[in-house]
Amino acid sequence: MLLEIRDLHKSYGKTTALAGVDFDVARGETVVIMGPSGCGKSTLIRCVNRLTEPDSGSIVLGGRDVLALQGKELQDFRRRVGFVFQHFNLIARLTALENVMFHLVMGGMEREEAAERALAALDRVGLKAAAERRPDQLSGGQQQRVGIARALVSSPEIMLWDEPTASLDPILVGEVLEVMEELVEHSGTTMVIVTHEVSFALRAADRIVFMDRGQVVEEGEPERVFAEPRSEIARLYRKLLIS
Amino acid sequence: MLDFFRDGFYKDLALLLVITILLGAGFSQGTAWAIDEYFGDTLDQMIGEYGEYDLMLHIREEAVDAALRELRRIGEQSFPGYKLGQTLTIAGQANVFFGLPPEYRTREVFESITSYFGAVPGLSGYTLMVQPSVLIRGVHPGVRDELIERIEALPAVRFAVKDGSNLVVLAQSEDDLPKASAQIEDILGQYQILELRFPMGFAVDTQEVGERALEVLRTQAGSSGSRFANVTSAQYGEDLDAFLKTLVEMRDFLGSYASKVRISPEPGVGLAIGERLVLKGAGQSEGELIVEVTGVFSGLGEGMIIEGSPVQSTDRVVYRGFRPADNGELGEFIGEVEIENERYRLAYAVDESLRLLGELEELAVQASAAVDNAEAVLVTFQEALLQLEVLQVQMRQLNEGIANGEAKPTGEQFLVSLLLNGLLQTLAKGVLSSGEESLDSLENLDIEEMRRSLNGISTQIANVQQIDVAAIMEQIGFVRDTLPDLSDAEIGQSIRLINTYLGGQVIPGERVQLLIRGERLNEKELERTFQEELGNSYLHTYSTSAGMVSPDARGEIFRILREVRSIVAGLLAIIFALIVLVLDHATIFSTLKQLRAGRRFQKRPLLRWADPLLLLGGAVGSVLLSSIYHLAGGEIPFCGPVVISLLGFGMGVLVVALSERFSPVDSMELMAAQALGLSNVQLMREVVIPPSRPGLLNLLNRWKQQF
Ligand SMILES: Nc1ncnc2c1ncn2[C@@H]1O[C@H](COP(=O)(O)OP(=O)(O)OP(=O)(O)O)[C@@H](O)[C@H]1O
Ligand SMILES: [Mg+2]
Repeated sequence: MLLEIRDLHKSYGKTTALAGVDFDVARGETVVIMGPSGCGKSTLIRCVNRLTEPDSGSIVLGGRDVLALQGKELQDFRRRVGFVFQHFNLIARLTALENVMFHLVMGGMEREEAAERALAALDRVGLKAAAERRPDQLSGGQQQRVGIARALVSSPEIMLWDEPTASLDPILVGEVLEVMEELVEHSGTTMVIVTHEVSFALRAADRIVFMDRGQVVEEGEPERVFAEPRSEIARLYRKLLIS
Repeated sequence: MLDFFRDGFYKDLALLLVITILLGAGFSQGTAWAIDEYFGDTLDQMIGEYGEYDLMLHIREEAVDAALRELRRIGEQSFPGYKLGQTLTIAGQANVFFGLPPEYRTREVFESITSYFGAVPGLSGYTLMVQPSVLIRGVHPGVRDELIERIEALPAVRFAVKDGSNLVVLAQSEDDLPKASAQIEDILGQYQILELRFPMGFAVDTQEVGERALEVLRTQAGSSGSRFANVTSAQYGEDLDAFLKTLVEMRDFLGSYASKVRISPEPGVGLAIGERLVLKGAGQSEGELIVEVTGVFSGLGEGMIIEGSPVQSTDRVVYRGFRPADNGELGEFIGEVEIENERYRLAYAVDESLRLLGELEELAVQASAAVDNAEAVLVTFQEALLQLEVLQVQMRQLNEGIANGEAKPTGEQFLVSLLLNGLLQTLAKGVLSSGEESLDSLENLDIEEMRRSLNGISTQIANVQQIDVAAIMEQIGFVRDTLPDLSDAEIGQSIRLINTYLGGQVIPGERVQLLIRGERLNEKELERTFQEELGNSYLHTYSTSAGMVSPDARGEIFRILREVRSIVAGLLAIIFALIVLVLDHATIFSTLKQLRAGRRFQKRPLLRWADPLLLLGGAVGSVLLSSIYHLAGGEIPFCGPVVISLLGFGMGVLVVALSERFSPVDSMELMAAQALGLSNVQLMREVVIPPSRPGLLNLLNRWKQQF
């Protein structure tokens, strides 16, 4: 297992976001996490790169105790984890290229090399031409593709996606899903994707994990979970798929 | 939280703080200095730098050059190392500064300013402006020496010097001024000048009344000895007093022109001041006069005509005086009254001199004519003498011819000879024995001498004629015309009017000043006692101080200027610190707040009020403000170091509390930066600071920013 999460707890005051989550991801696997709003999906994946600090439990990634990481180690670790945000979270004042190469340079890479690699990543998401544009000169879909290129460029051990298409116009969702599917198929990177895109999950996921009220309620291969859902949540998503 | 700074950002922050503090201090101090400099320069030009000059000499504008020359000479001779400066010329009066070298700033020098500078051309006065000094105004001369002695005993005081009615007290140092000033106030507080003022018209022997008043005080206060002293000064300081004095002079002047009225009462008749008498003349031509009795001396009365005009005479006129009866008739006979009219006498005298002058002019003309005549006579006489000589020669020849028989005189010639001899003998009759001798003695008469003395007389007469007698007469005539053209009644009314005014005046003519040492007395409570004890119900009592510490205007201006500078610097420091906190530090705090949000949820109600972030903000604010404030030399009243550091703390806390409003940080960018593995320092330098408000933080960051 690349990622092993055990009995993870997190609450915000009286709100419990994670109530003892056990969650494993194998190397090269693509896992889709689904569940109703507020069930703790974002909290879970943010715990993986310590954007959120869990209250208790353990997270082991590639043999490293994630929760024990401090300072420089934590920064190095984060550089090895790609994260795609729902709201893209690009640096507004930087161009697409800079956004993508930025953390490589920060990590100590030569500027030229970083630019070269960033350009390649942009090419991969079909945005080489838009390299010099700043986020406000890009469409939502293009911005998210820059976000993807940014996560991708450092060849991460694992990519975490937090509803990458949720804040996009329906027309723009397609282009992003296309890129995602291509990556899933050809990059070989381990992926944990939180999404409500049922058909994408069906096509791309090796495994789907359903969460509810801070817990994993069901998991299995896409065909299986949609064919014979065991949990309330899975049944709900099946309805969504059929409609 | 502190580990946020650990990976390098603390350096940026430290640099920021240091530069902020230096810049803030420099800015605040610089601005304040500029303000100070601007006003200070202007002031310096007008009144010299603090302590630069000791003396301001007021000199008539046209004499300035000569004065400066003389001042330089005095400086070189008596005060080597002196300083000279010229300032504004106001209304034809130039003001020249003179600075003494420190070793000459002594009592001896300051006390003899006039002997050093009295001869400076055009000098019309001087002002002492020695620094550091305390000025005491209006020091009563009666206490001056005592005050000087006591003030000079103060350790903060070097010496005290009298400057007119002021005392200039030199302090040991500028820092000693407030202390010295307070101590002097304290000493002055131990003296009180009690003034007894008498209405006009009361002739008061201040010495005698003073002694009596002291006695009253001593019995009143139950103390004896040296607590009280009579320090009555003759000086009329106040304007009103001067005016009243003028009025009195005026009254006396008018009085001297009024007819003198002398009343010789019949035996057994008493006269009262203010009483009115009716005067009847001896003849019918003299009308009735009404006279007021103004004084009674050893039985004789003096009076003043208030109605009617006396006979115009240069001699004394004697009237009969009566008391007026109720029915308008004449009452009791008082006695004879003599009236003497000075005005008529003067007018008479002036008229006489005018006449005399007229005569003099006439006389000069006549004398001049007489001299001219005398000269003509002399010339004729000389000519006559010459002709006589010729005749004499002819006669001799004739006589000889006749005797020798050479010539045969005609009958005519003979006759002439005979006549001439007779004439000559007549001329020298009794003095000269023979015709020849007599002519010689005539020639011996010194005609030149006579002519010279005639010339002398002539010149003197010419001189007399040159005197512009007409002008003199005109002037005397003018004086005569301007003699108060007032009747006795009018003069009397005026005098009565002036007296009424003077009588009603609260500020009277005579005053007795008493010095009270130690505890103050209530002058109003004492008023009745004095009125009773001194038997004068019109006297009033007033209390004044022995002197007033007055802020020396010049030092005061500079002190205010320094204060203003410190206040301005202080205010600027506060403003600067606030701006820096809002522009720069709010960004940092706002970031820290954002980052903390992702941390483990902490529920420690006890520490809620002691939020470390608020404390950090407070500390930063405190350090920032305190340092800038003190480096800038800020000094705001009531704002000591504690207040300032508390203010800084408050500002810091406030900025932390409102940091998101002052400087919102894009939480998404921040989260992305975290997820991308940026260190805190990178996160600040590349993500947070660049889009933040333009400030020092932002500016300094440009050096380090890579993207
Ligand atoms: N920073 C926070 N402070 C307080 N409560 C939070 C915070 N973040 C999340 N929560 C709460 O924790 C719970 C789980 O939130 P989370 O964002 O993980 O849900 P989610 O499954 O991702 O939902 P969504 O589909 O809306 O993104 C929710 O009830 C949410 O309100
Ligand atoms: Mg979410």
